Amino acid sequence: MVDLVTQDKWNKAAASIDLMTGNGEQKRWFPFKSRLFGHMQPGRILFASLGTGLDIPAFPPGMTITAIDISPEMLRRAQPRIDNYQGEMKAELVDIHEMPYPDGHFDQVFTSCTFCSVPEPVAALNALNRVLKPGGRLYMFEHTGSRYFPFKSMLDVMTILARKIGPELNRSTVDNVKAAGFKVTEVNNLFLDIVKTIKAVKPLN
Amino acid sequence: MDHRLYFIAGDLISNISVGSLIALSAALLIGTGWNMFIAMVVMMALGMILGLLLSLALGILFGAMEIMVPVMLTGMFSGMFSGMWLAMTDVAPLQLVYLGAVTGFAVTCIIWLVNTHLRGISSSELN
Repeated sequence: MVDLVTQDKWNKAAASIDLMTGNGEQKRWFPFKSRLFGHMQPGRILFASLGTGLDIPAFPPGMTITAIDISPEMLRRAQPRIDNYQGEMKAELVDIHEMPYPDGHFDQVFTSCTFCSVPEPVAALNALNRVLKPGGRLYMFEHTGSRYFPFKSMLDVMTILARKIGPELNRSTVDNVKAAGFKVTEVNNLFLDIVKTIKAVKPLN
Repeated sequence: MDHRLYFIAGDLISNISVGSLIALSAALLIGTGWNMFIAMVVMMALGMILGLLLSLALGILFGAMEIMVPVMLTGMFSGMFSGMWLAMTDVAPLQLVYLGAVTGFAVTCIIWLVNTHLRGISSSELN
């Protein structure tokens, strides 16, 4: 059963997301995203969450990617970018908490600004852990909360407003990744300790 | 902070312009005779809120989080300083513009220094 409240929130956000994040934000982080997504290798790749597909130009060509999102409106807007991808990409309307894929189905999982948005981040990361094969790698581009004053307090206050219409700004995503059973192998802070890339691996046993 | 000129200029222009605008707008509300502490607190809160709203527009051009955090701080400090100054004495509009601009420049530099310290591989967050 899809979370209709979350789906409705992101359907409404779809109309403005390219304007808000598709210009300066995308220009600023595109080189870092390209480097992270450059870790994609042949095999089954899961990308969560696709949004309007702004990240697709940063994907290396020739990959086999299953991209999911909870919002049909986001996927509708992503379709031209999906069509332009030089590889095999299928977009599916899936709630990350209830993915229909078998255990260990994917070789790699990538996320981009996903875990500021899902309602239950640890449960969603547990779901990613389930569909990733043992030894498989998780690569994330995320903005998180900060551990330092005054940024932590600011992000806590801003989250009260932001969560109504969009993302939560104070998530402890690195801790959540660990809580879901992954081994974190690298955390690279890009802006303060707020915007970062996270690399993790699903242990073999 | 980014090393590309577009973003260095964008960060500076955003903070300097927001700092000046908020310092100027303080003159619409605060006057001599206000309690200095109350003027500081009121303008600190209003400066942060105005900074947040302005950062939504500036973020379209220069990036969301990287504009929002410094611009809110600039708004807060610019509001505090201008509120206290206006509570003490009459201040010319150009002086308020200077105060806001210097505050915005200083916040940009401080964020740049803190970011230089925090960015990069963080070994303290590994399992």
